Amino acid sequence: MTIEFMLDVFRENRQNEAIIWRDQAYSYAWLLDRLAEWQAALTEQQVPAGAVVILEADFSPNAVALFLALIEHNCVLVPLTRSVEAKKAEFIETAQGEVRIVIDEQDQVRFERLPYRADHPLYAELRRRGHPGLILFSSGSTGKNKAALHDLTGILEKFKVRRHTKRTITFLLYDHIGGVNTMLYILSNGGTIITVQDRSPEAVLAAVEKYRVEMLPTSPTFINLILLSEAYKRYDLSSLQTVTYGTEPMPESTLKRFHELFPHITLQQTYGLSEVGILRSKSKSSDSLWVKLGGEGFETRVVDGILHIKAKSAMLGYLNAPSPFTEDGWFVTGDEVLVDGEYFRILGRRSELINVGGEKVYPAEVESVLQEQPNVAEATVYGEKNPITGNIVCALVRLKEPEDPKAAALRLKKACRAVLPAFKVPVKIEFVDEEMYSERYKKIRLRP
Amino acid sequence: MEKEEVLALVLEAVEEWNQQAEDEQRLEISPETRLLGRNSKLDSLGLVNLIVLVEEKIADRYGVHLTLADERAMSQERSPFRSVQSLAEYAHLLLTEKK
Repeated sequence: MTIEFMLDVFRENRQNEAIIWRDQAYSYAWLLDRLAEWQAALTEQQVPAGAVVILEADFSPNAVALFLALIEHNCVLVPLTRSVEAKKAEFIETAQGEVRIVIDEQDQVRFERLPYRADHPLYAELRRRGHPGLILFSSGSTGKNKAALHDLTGILEKFKVRRHTKRTITFLLYDHIGGVNTMLYILSNGGTIITVQDRSPEAVLAAVEKYRVEMLPTSPTFINLILLSEAYKRYDLSSLQTVTYGTEPMPESTLKRFHELFPHITLQQTYGLSEVGILRSKSKSSDSLWVKLGGEGFETRVVDGILHIKAKSAMLGYLNAPSPFTEDGWFVTGDEVLVDGEYFRILGRRSELINVGGEKVYPAEVESVLQEQPNVAEATVYGEKNPITGNIVCALVRLKEPEDPKAAALRLKKACRAVLPAFKVPVKIEFVDEEMYSERYKKIRLRP
Repeated sequence: MEKEEVLALVLEAVEEWNQQAEDEQRLEISPETRLLGRNSKLDSLGLVNLIVLVEEKIADRYGVHLTLADERAMSQERSPFRSVQSLAEYAHLLLTEKK
């Protein structure tokens, strides 16, 4: 039994809250019962072991129970959320989904057969091992979305060591490595999953107050939105002990500002990728971007400024792209880092780096300065080709209140000039009205 | 549009550049001001900034999006970025072609 170690935890915590969903608590006793029911239902529905099952859901009692039941049934899970609605058909085809389970907003479950046959060689390998699998789609900011196939036995291994758990909001999505990691961590330690249906700052902070949430795993973009909306002024956040952030570089200005407002909250950086999973991490301090990375089953090295990771529980491979691993099994993350002893500082994706006359500009650094300025809601920095300096730095800025664009551009350029070397100062600043982040609360970037 | 009108726009761009530039890169507001070479106060980044300001001014005035710095400009026998005057003439030329 792949999740036997989890079931032990569940049995010890029968009376405790496992999931809070739409104001209702579901205990570990409930979860044990429901898990058994779904296992029986999978047999009844003639879902064979090893089947590739598309699981369309957000975090809910049945979404959690079915996730575990499908692991026990040695299926390959393909979680999909509404954030990928437009690409759903393509993803199902890529994954060769054989069965589709849709869990709606009322937590009602529907089964459906799909016409695909899962005959990908990587699936054959997984079936030979007799292990359950998990498919995670990369965000595809660099082109097509890659489907990473994991052996779930490997992913679950690190959760066998018991650790302290906190009342945690599952903010990161059900089909994201961070969301899956949060869920498995909480369940493996008998903690409480607090679900939110609406991921706006108001709704999330309201849930923190109402359910005395202790931990919020989120993204820098969302932390910036909390600050901007001033939603924190309207809710009691005294229960909150830890806020974690990952998935994109953190602007230093956002980190410092949040830390000043909430000195009692520990800010902790996380690092992980769909391909290798989530590493254990430890930030130097709440207001530091330096972080220790690694932990059991992970090795790191830096080659030519780029972070490489070797993970015991790395994916088997992509279904729709060649293997990205080096011959000796390292994954080249594409993230540019600085190293100081045991600590790393993540500067950004090398593909997003802007080369201005031979000098390197990381968008996050310039965005951080822009976002510190009065009346700036958010800023996205990108490069544009230029025959004189190779590239120039450009910025899209969303303002809080209307302001004359010429005057605002001049003001922002001057502010940048005061703290940044000339080559990092945006040459072009354009103003936009639309928000510039995705449903995953991650900055949407333009490429040179 | 008249050449003088475009020159006036370039001079406005120079003025705007002076508002954000460091002292040593501020330019005299004159058609003769050198933008390139030994006698210019601008470095390459300053030049790029000034050119973008001119492009923005032209877009505001004529609703035409020009790219002043491109392969064509770079391959001219005499660089159009020599001076304020030559930059204005080059911008005028591109504008006439677009009309």
